[in-house]
Amino acid sequence: MRRLLCSLAAMAFAVAGTFPAAAADPVKFALCYDLSKAYTFVTPQIAQAAKDYAALLNMKGGIEGHPIDVIVQDHGNEPQRGIECYEKLKREGVMVFDMLSTPVSRAVLPRIMKDGNILLQSLVGRGDAIDGDVFKWVFPIGPTYWGQAANDIEYIKQKSGGKLKGVKVAFLYIDYPFGQEPIGILKTLAQKEGFDLQLFPYPLPGNEQASAWTQIRRYNPDWIVSWSLSKMHIIASREMKRNGIPIDKYIAVNWLNEVDINNIGPAEAKGLKRGTNVAGGSNHPIIQEIIKELYDKGKGNGDRKNLEDVYYNTGLAIYSIAFEGARLAIKKDGWPLTPQKIKDGFESLKDYDANGLMAPVTVTAHDHGGGGKTRIEMWDGAKWVPQTDWIAGFSDEVWKVVKDESAKYAKEEPQK
Amino acid sequence: MLYRKAGIFHTDYAADRALFPIPADRWTIGLLLLIAATAPLYMNSLYLSSYLLPWLVWTAATLGLNLILGWAGQFHLGYAAVMGIGAYAAVHAVRTGIPWEIAIVLAGFTAAVIGIGFAFAALRVKGLYLALSTLALQFVMDWTISHVQAISGGTQATLQAPDIRLLGIPITSDAGLYYIALVWCLLVTSFMLNLKRTALGRALVAVREKDYAAAVIGVNSFYFKMVAFATSSFIGGVTGAILIGTFYHAVTPEQFSVDVSIQALAMVIVGGLGSIIGSYFGAAFILLMPGVMNSFISWLANLLGLSLSLETLAHLPQALYGALIIVFLLVEPLGLGKIYNNIRDYLLVWPFGYVKK
Repeated sequence: MRRLLCSLAAMAFAVAGTFPAAAADPVKFALCYDLSKAYTFVTPQIAQAAKDYAALLNMKGGIEGHPIDVIVQDHGNEPQRGIECYEKLKREGVMVFDMLSTPVSRAVLPRIMKDGNILLQSLVGRGDAIDGDVFKWVFPIGPTYWGQAANDIEYIKQKSGGKLKGVKVAFLYIDYPFGQEPIGILKTLAQKEGFDLQLFPYPLPGNEQASAWTQIRRYNPDWIVSWSLSKMHIIASREMKRNGIPIDKYIAVNWLNEVDINNIGPAEAKGLKRGTNVAGGSNHPIIQEIIKELYDKGKGNGDRKNLEDVYYNTGLAIYSIAFEGARLAIKKDGWPLTPQKIKDGFESLKDYDANGLMAPVTVTAHDHGGGGKTRIEMWDGAKWVPQTDWIAGFSDEVWKVVKDESAKYAKEEPQK
Repeated sequence: MLYRKAGIFHTDYAADRALFPIPADRWTIGLLLLIAATAPLYMNSLYLSSYLLPWLVWTAATLGLNLILGWAGQFHLGYAAVMGIGAYAAVHAVRTGIPWEIAIVLAGFTAAVIGIGFAFAALRVKGLYLALSTLALQFVMDWTISHVQAISGGTQATLQAPDIRLLGIPITSDAGLYYIALVWCLLVTSFMLNLKRTALGRALVAVREKDYAAAVIGVNSFYFKMVAFATSSFIGGVTGAILIGTFYHAVTPEQFSVDVSIQALAMVIVGGLGSIIGSYFGAAFILLMPGVMNSFISWLANLLGLSLSLETLAHLPQALYGALIIVFLLVEPLGLGKIYNNIRDYLLVWPFGYVKK
């Protein structure tokens, strides 16, 4: 039986080993994604964007002459399959991994830190990983949930004329770690700025929010900050209608896309706000080039209508950063790449915004988050209208929480 | 011919009660043990650390669950919770400075105590109602971990596990971790093998078949149900701790969520209720098949020159995997273990098949 297993596994190994032969050694990026369970509302678009952008760059000669190889594998949001994916691809010379799943990122983290490979975890995983002094190998480039929540409060502050005293903020969230994460920073800020904060959790899977909304109606907040995913926003919008709460009080986390807007109804969603770190829409020059070079010639890596989706832009943002980081690494330290060189490459990213695609990021050895800038956008019935510049509010408070948490992790390390 | 039964005499109790009276079985087991014991020598570290090791640990868990499902006949839909209790208990214990050897046992006892606590409530109800009560254990556990930060390890809800140490020696190599998993799996297996021929095992089977009837012949079904819950929880707790120590190296609530409970249940059912070899097959099937299927489909698509979209590539293996489970259970409702037994029964008399008829 063990033999059978071995031969099966050997077959699997042989399978994964068949890559197209390339002239120069490729730069490999592993996307171990959940393409079949919980994260499917975002992973296909992001993987498609990564593959498209890699194809586009490969047409122009790749990264400093080395072709980009984007390897996508499904892990079904199961930690053990994510580990398997990591262990397998690690042995095939991949140094940059992206799990795009909080459970799997958490499960792989101890191995990444031990082996010294690069873990990209934009928008997922533990927020304190932006502390580059502790999490040397983890790059959560983009905003953390803490940073995003702080930026939302910053926006509310701007809208209330610069002071928050007496402003009522409702925090609506799905009652599991993703939703609970911003609570700490929100409480800190409420104390500091003197606004009134109340928490309204609703249980998994988020289809039932009636009791939370009844309470919100009684509370009558000025703003509702919502940590929800895809369809939960739609249920929230229905409950808002039922309870007579205007939708323009609603500020969503970045996980709200065009599909959700269509499900709410573009006209009904007018006034809805969301925090985001990328510019939406497909009129950005990179996307236009991708359309011209790939999709018009039938060489796209997926469904063309995904290009309208903001998650496609999110993917493009993540991978333009990753490819740029690798480019800097080769340019600075030369071929062959090592994880250390890639780390240096990432850490020398400065004010990089891929031509206006996203909030500019500056990564340093201390700050692996790149600044954590986001902006608030409003749906005007047909498109998203930016309400602020790229902002990173209350970064002192955010960093205080980050340092507290990462210090706890650092304290555990020496026990190893 | 392969399984020669000539020369096997049931002349004394020891021979009659032997676990493997047929020499061919003993040879097979000896060979498999040899293959398992020398695996680190010839197997590359990927298969060792990412396929074989988790498979062995999950097999131990499947056996533990099989004790309560297959032997005692009691539903349990919260086995991952029991494993989780063990995992958290062990990691917290180690972090306070208790050595791993003791922490692992402590994990087992913590899980057993909490498992029994639930058994008291659960034993008043039967069948599907019991299934629901144990499912409640799962949800209570999930809720407790995600809301009590002292357990889960703060807002990040991950608790890094210190490296596993035995007798003060840190064990970090793939081979070392593999041996820990192997030893535990073999311990549980031999316990389960021997359970069959003890009074406890027979009492459990009596309770499973009909608890009134068991009571009539003097088997205290309440007591034995509790023993079953406690033993199975103990195995689950230790397995949870070993899973963290050898494989995950960090505990998070998702590693022991309700999905995992369902997976463990699937391992038992696909493998075969009350079957030990089936537990090995079941764990392998449920744990490794999705990954193998995944690679197989991408390989096939490559071979045929099909360019499937990413999503199709991810969903096709799932569909095939689901179909396979249905096919296996249609062919043999008693699971993969029974399929193995059918083959063995056929070979027992081969080539003289008419002997059976």
